[in-house]
Amino acid sequence: MSKNFKVSLGIDEDALASCVSCGLCLPHCPTYRVTQEETASPRGRIALMRQVEAAGVADDTFISFMDACIQCRGCETACPSGVPFGPMMETTREALADQTSYQPRYRRLGYSVLGMPRLLALGSRLIAVLQRLRLIPSRLALPRIPLRQTKLKASGDDVWLFTGCIMDAWMRDTHAAVKRVVESTGAGVRLPGNEAGCCGALHVHAGLTLKAKKLANKVIEAFPGTNPILVDSAGCGAQLKDYGHLLGTTKAAAFSSRVFDVHEWLAENLDKLPKINSDEPPVIVQDPCHLRHVQRSHEAVRLVMNQYIGTIELDDDGLCCGAGGAYSSLHPETAAEVRTRKLESINRSGGTNVVSANPGCMLHLQQAGVSIQHPLELVDSIIARAMKRE
Amino acid sequence: MSSKRKKTIFDELKALLGSRVRADDMELQLYGKDSSVLSGVPSTVCFPLDAEEVQGIVNICNRFQRPFIARGSGTGLAGGAVPVGNPVIISTAKMNKILDIDLEDRIAWVEPGVLNLDLSKALKEFGFHFAPDPSSQQVCSIGGNVANNSGGPHCLAYGVTTSHVLAAEVVLPNAEIVTLGGIDPEPTGYDLRGLFIGSEGTMGIATKIAVRLTPNPPDVRTLLLDFADVSDGALAVSAIINAGIIPAALEMMDHNAIGMIEAFVHAGYPVEAAAVLLVELDGLSGAVEAAVETIKDVAKIHNAGSVRIAKDETERALLWKGRKNAFGAVARIKPDYYLHDTVVPRSKLVEVLNQVYQAADKYDLIAINVFHAGDGNLHPILAYDAREPGILERVHSAGDAIIKASMDAGGVLSGEHGIGLEKRDFMHLLFSAHDMFTQDLIREAFDPQGLANPLKILPSGSRCSDSFKQHVPEGVWV
Ligand SMILES: Cc1cc2nc3c(=O)[nH]c(=O)nc-3n(C[C@H](O)[C@H](O)[C@H](O)COP(=O)(O)OP(=O)(O)OC[C@H]3O[C@@H](n4cnc5c(N)ncnc54)[C@H](O)[C@@H]3O)c2cc1C
Ligand code: SF4
Ligand code: SF4
Repeated sequence: MSKNFKVSLGIDEDALASCVSCGLCLPHCPTYRVTQEETASPRGRIALMRQVEAAGVADDTFISFMDACIQCRGCETACPSGVPFGPMMETTREALADQTSYQPRYRRLGYSVLGMPRLLALGSRLIAVLQRLRLIPSRLALPRIPLRQTKLKASGDDVWLFTGCIMDAWMRDTHAAVKRVVESTGAGVRLPGNEAGCCGALHVHAGLTLKAKKLANKVIEAFPGTNPILVDSAGCGAQLKDYGHLLGTTKAAAFSSRVFDVHEWLAENLDKLPKINSDEPPVIVQDPCHLRHVQRSHEAVRLVMNQYIGTIELDDDGLCCGAGGAYSSLHPETAAEVRTRKLESINRSGGTNVVSANPGCMLHLQQAGVSIQHPLELVDSIIARAMKRE
Repeated sequence: MSSKRKKTIFDELKALLGSRVRADDMELQLYGKDSSVLSGVPSTVCFPLDAEEVQGIVNICNRFQRPFIARGSGTGLAGGAVPVGNPVIISTAKMNKILDIDLEDRIAWVEPGVLNLDLSKALKEFGFHFAPDPSSQQVCSIGGNVANNSGGPHCLAYGVTTSHVLAAEVVLPNAEIVTLGGIDPEPTGYDLRGLFIGSEGTMGIATKIAVRLTPNPPDVRTLLLDFADVSDGALAVSAIINAGIIPAALEMMDHNAIGMIEAFVHAGYPVEAAAVLLVELDGLSGAVEAAVETIKDVAKIHNAGSVRIAKDETERALLWKGRKNAFGAVARIKPDYYLHDTVVPRSKLVEVLNQVYQAADKYDLIAINVFHAGDGNLHPILAYDAREPGILERVHSAGDAIIKASMDAGGVLSGEHGIGLEKRDFMHLLFSAHDMFTQDLIREAFDPQGLANPLKILPSGSRCSDSFKQHVPEGVWV
């Protein structure tokens, strides 16, 4: 039996009371689906929070149950009572990080690097070199990181493109493709300098709220003016949209109201997209949780895609793929089991190529051999091919 | 510890199941509750993978004379899976494989932990489904459906679980494995299958179930009728059936229910209405068309505000999503609910509904009605906040009044949720002491030691008792 320690989670009392234990969220929870155990279900996690809140003590078992949640928030869209599970879990993790040894120093250090663009770029280049020398074991399941990155250039200032941390270091080609699609509507794209950096989503998930707030302030400063800020990573977009709530200032709220997932913005500008007749076979749309369950703007992806290509739906009601930000590195086994369900659903769908609007999902599914792209990479290539033909 | 230490029940279960047996305090508490208001604490939770392991657990429980309780998804509304007497919980959740689908004979063999909707989804590509569709169908298990003989909106036309289960492999309370029923249409001898279905885990644990496959109907039409007066809606229910139509489903929701449902689904439910009827018709196109016309006429006679017909599958699914999530949406009004499940003759709907509202008013509670109107199966929900002092007494008094009103109208105690722990002490309102004694004899024939989900369904010793609260067994909290 593990040691007890004092803890006060500080979860809103009404939120905690709002779960009626109906269980309707269970099948929509990836960790319940792979374990079939209450401790890994939303209903169970809420009941555990209640236990700890009532007793004022917790133990390592409690921490491990909380840490096993992917924070996909599939339970939130499934819950008829509107239980705010995401914020409850974030509050829990913040309390655990502040009051216990939940986030050890080495992990905190890792998260800090995300907020240091230069160090991240340097580290990434180092990994890229080591990968070429075959010195990085493949079980670490890192994507192949480019040695050299072409610099993105601003093309005007109608809209901003948020570039972020890891994605900018590892997947800048995706940004480039997204930028071209946005530009194809006639809009000029402005880029934040290096100082914008990380959105802080992973920090919030880890309970490192203070750090996340610092990053949020930095990001806000990097996007002056009132123009829309477009985001091509669902996880980052969800986080930027939450700054108003995170910081609780009118300035942050004003910033958040300027944030759009890039598909949301394109869906409002469909008539400006180039008209092209393409005969591509339909593509499977895999919804990132933070687009479907948090931003709830996954339909926009279809609206944009369907200008150019048919879309195939998966039959799993938007169940998480297991990526979950840092989750797949911290819980590789559960993440892989969750992914297996997704792969089965992909197989049943009859399609082969997949699009997903989040870098984490792309990498995680790619590692299992799925042919996957960002939706706008596909659109960009369709447009480019058509231009060439003309 | 010395190696000669006497083995505990936990040691033995551990030897059988390894890491699939648990006794961590926090985890145990999660298995102390289902979707009812009751809770207890088990001594151990086991996750067997097959019938042999279930048999092994039951054997061990027999040796230690320890009660055991099967648990599916824990969505029961009557406390059937709530632990009483320090029992071992046997979760069937990991026994979740569809073993065989036989399209020719229209039968599927499934493990008990298969989720109801997962089965229908797997059958979809073949054009079939499993007809019983409890509103909890996305999460409840087939084993739980069998144990509670569960119903659902579409059971009005298709019948409840017992009409769709042909056979069950069961680990009896003495750990023997038997198959009750059979896939031949008219098995000879007593219908032990029929006896087992609805026995709420008191006659053993189902480890494999043969279900009947129902073909998907060629045509489906879903209508939403709204009323400015609850009584008009209730009268329309009888009128529809009297017009010779048996809809596939005929559900009623009142004003409070509509509000909380619409806040979740945004399906365009008329939030101003006093009540709506959700009617589904299925069958051959011609017949469905004709029935739609008849219902429009009935709607006019009974002052319906409008008749909305779902234009496509998406709209139909959205309307149903609202209905099926109703109980789960209660927290939009109050964080706790107490739910009854009485059935009254359709002709008495108006009268009993009025009494439900009166009871709620009298005890200053909020009543929400969302129910299977077609077969008179009421589900009055009393919504409350358990944090309010003294509230439970009021909830129970109002509940008693509702039950009494239903019984006086010639109704029964439970339509589909089972008796479990929650409705157990109301049994005497329906059955004489002699009836209950006889039922106890049947139970004893299956479980002479009284280890299989004890103290459920029948009051212990089957003596009459009057009030719910006083007779909640020790160790159980409301
Ligand atoms: C939102 C909501 C809506 C609902 N709507 C309906 C409805 O429309 N119609 C309806 O009928 N019910 C409804 N219910 C009640 C409930 O979902 C059903 O009773 C369901 O069949 C229970 O299944 P379960 O797997 O959750 O069983 P559990 O709650 O886990 O168990 C129920 C009982 O079955 C026993 N049991 C479980 N598995 C086995 C087994 N393999 N062998 C023997 N005994 C077993 C348990 O011991 C217990 O007594 C609803 C519940 C909720 C929360
Ligand atoms: S979180 Fe919502 S859906 Fe899940 S058990 Fe609680 S009330 Fe039901
Ligand atoms: S956030 Fe995702 S993993 Fe966590 S409880 Fe909810 S559904 Fe399950």
